Amino acid sequence: MKFKKMIVCLLLIAALSSVVFAGSASAKSVLYEGDIQAGDGYQINNHVIDVADVFPSEDYASFYVYEKDTELMDKGLDINDTFTFEIDNEEVEVKLLDTKTGTLPRAEIAITITDEDIINTKGVVDGGHEKAEFSGTPIIEITKSVSSNTIQAGDSVTVTVRAENKGDDEATDLRFSNNLPEKFILEETFVSQSGEMSLDVGESQQIFVYRITSTEPGTFTLKPTTATFSNNAGVDFPQTSSNTPTITVEGEPAAMADVEVSADLQEPVIPRGESTEVTLLIRNNGEGDAEAVSVDIQLPDGLEYESGDSEIEIISGTPTIYLQTLGVQQEKEFTFNVNAEEMGSYPVTASYSYISAEDPEAEEINSETTTNALEVTKGKYDVIFEQPLYVYIVPVVIILGAAAWIYYRRQQYRF
Amino acid sequence: MLNILMVGNGQCGNRILDSINRQAFGSKSRFAKFYSKQQYKSNVQTLAINTAVNDLKEMKYTKAKDRIHIPHLHGVGANRNVGRKVFDENKSQIMRNLDERGSFDLAFVITSASGGTGSSFTPSLIRELKEQNDYPVYAVVVLPFREEGTLYLQNAAFALKDIRESGVDGIILADNQYLKQMGGDVESAYDSINEMIAKRLIFLLDSLDSEMMMVTDLGDFKTVMSGGAGIATIGYYEADGEVPIRTAIQKAVSPSGLLFNTNVYEEASRSMMIIRGDKSYLSIDEISTEVEKLSDSVGHVFKGIIVRKGEYPRVLSVLTLESASELEELYHLAVDAINIEKEKKERVQKDKEVDKAFSQIEGLEPHY
Ligand SMILES: Nc1nc2c(ncn2[C@@H]2O[C@H](COP(=O)(O)OP(=O)(O)OP(=O)(O)O)[C@@H](O)[C@H]2O)c(=O)[nH]1
Ligand SMILES: [Mg+2]
Repeated sequence: MKFKKMIVCLLLIAALSSVVFAGSASAKSVLYEGDIQAGDGYQINNHVIDVADVFPSEDYASFYVYEKDTELMDKGLDINDTFTFEIDNEEVEVKLLDTKTGTLPRAEIAITITDEDIINTKGVVDGGHEKAEFSGTPIIEITKSVSSNTIQAGDSVTVTVRAENKGDDEATDLRFSNNLPEKFILEETFVSQSGEMSLDVGESQQIFVYRITSTEPGTFTLKPTTATFSNNAGVDFPQTSSNTPTITVEGEPAAMADVEVSADLQEPVIPRGESTEVTLLIRNNGEGDAEAVSVDIQLPDGLEYESGDSEIEIISGTPTIYLQTLGVQQEKEFTFNVNAEEMGSYPVTASYSYISAEDPEAEEINSETTTNALEVTKGKYDVIFEQPLYVYIVPVVIILGAAAWIYYRRQQYRF
Repeated sequence: MLNILMVGNGQCGNRILDSINRQAFGSKSRFAKFYSKQQYKSNVQTLAINTAVNDLKEMKYTKAKDRIHIPHLHGVGANRNVGRKVFDENKSQIMRNLDERGSFDLAFVITSASGGTGSSFTPSLIRELKEQNDYPVYAVVVLPFREEGTLYLQNAAFALKDIRESGVDGIILADNQYLKQMGGDVESAYDSINEMIAKRLIFLLDSLDSEMMMVTDLGDFKTVMSGGAGIATIGYYEADGEVPIRTAIQKAVSPSGLLFNTNVYEEASRSMMIIRGDKSYLSIDEISTEVEKLSDSVGHVFKGIIVRKGEYPRVLSVLTLESASELEELYHLAVDAINIEKEKKERVQKDKEVDKAFSQIEGLEPHY
């Protein structure tokens, strides 16, 4: 016995060292060490190690290993003998430590496993595998239904997502993921299950109920709702998807506005310091009204805004035109004057934005137009400043001389 | 080059002088004085003298330094006695001004005969000039319109006499009455009469200092002017087209060209003809023949010919008169005028008796 105890001690040391060296492949943990009556078993996940018979007189016990109802192996062990098998690629070792007499004989065994992390269910099962409860396969069926498959543009439709567990085990860690369809707007959400949930076998539940509104005509297939889950034993199952119903949206596409801005220079070339008129024509060529039409007149540096129609407001230095609405085929003309002190070429840019009145998404459309560059040339009188000095001095001297002469003469004749 | 003095006394003298200065600029433009130069051939000095400052102010073409104002109210009111007194009081100032202008070869003094200032200053001035210098001094005297009144006629008669006795070397007469044929209102009649007188004087000045083909010079002018009764006038004709020189000469002594109404064929004693124009018009023979013919009736004729390229013929005649029937007539009128004035004066004396009536209420006050 002393010898036996020594071995136990050694094993304990080995077990301890396995804890110390946790993470290494060879590390083992002791799952169980104790007595199990003949006829009872020890369950690890869906495997049951049944203690079939114990013969204390012989220091011998026999074992069966089942996976669920299927016998995988039978083994007889003398004291201190071991056998091993694998669960999910992890090695399980069973060792007979002792045999004990009683009303029913008992075997003292030690069960170790290389990685206990895979283990979900364990413990001594009275009655062995026949009495063991095994974890099953939850089957989650998701159905996505729509209140109507054919609607008019702009109408709404209610989408209902239900899930039912059609498997034989509870679905745990159940998570749903749902994508809203494009070209639809979420109007209202009635039900939305979020976070982890579970679904018992045969149970069915509304997961999502929401109402969406179509924005465009066409035929749209809704994206599937997916779910991930595990069973009771913590086994993960592959993602499952719902059906993908199709909705046909009938009707004309929304009448969109098409605003065009053109800018024209009255004169393509002007002398320095003079001004010219720029005409902005804002026109809606589209099929629907435009709203919030805003035109910013961007003048390059050096080109000055001089004056213009009263509708043109200067907003933080930028001449801006704002039209609340611009009907179909409607056009508006605005004029303003610009001038430049320096020679150069100055393109005038009108950048504009608007919204189609009927666009359910009210998307802002931006665009711009640029005139041909306004050429600012020499001023009418610039030529004067380019002359050599004497060109002015001579006439000035002549004029002064003439003035002086006239003054002198007047004085001479003034009585 | 001759040094010539032109004095204009009184309103009439001033205005004729201004007209001379204007025409000397050669242009009719009001602004000629600002860009043009006077085209006197000689060194001509003009001097306007007046007691009325407004008359002097009206002058436009005569330099300010050539206008002398003798302060005495606004003129002497046609009173020659006052005029004479004012001249005497200011004589030294006037003479100093003239002295400062250097010496002259010839002087003209222009005046009306009938006003106060001009007619009284002129004889006094000439007397002074003659006393202090020995150059000839001629008076240009304007006779009044006959209907201007007894005062003017009276003045004219005495003034003319005074001028003659002043030592003057000759009197050139211009008669408003005779020249008023120009018509128009008084102002424009004055302007055109002044222009006529000025034009003749300028032509004369110009001729005296010009190169002439036949001899006439200042000496001849003096000789002509010293002839006759010391009274002269000027005739002039200016062709505005091709006119035979013969016609031009005849017209220069005809009534339409004269400044004073005279029958030259009867009254002229000496004369001077200055004939000017383009060479093509100046046939010496023709001129000589015509002048020869004239000399029978107008006395000795000094003739001078001046060639001016491109100019139509112009002829100036200076005629001294032995007698002037027109002047005699003027004096008849003047005598009547003097008598009328005298009577008026006596009547005024008598009227003063009225004062006696007024004297009765002396010292009394009205009561209401
Ligand atoms: N030809 C001509 N005669 C003028 C002119 N002005 C005045 N007379 C005549 O001159 C006479 C008047 O003499 P004025 O020269 O005006 O008188 P004054 O010498 O200024 O003297 P007071 O005015 O009396 O101080 C009148 O007979 C006018 O007809 C003129 O411009 N041209
Ligand atoms: Mg006067």
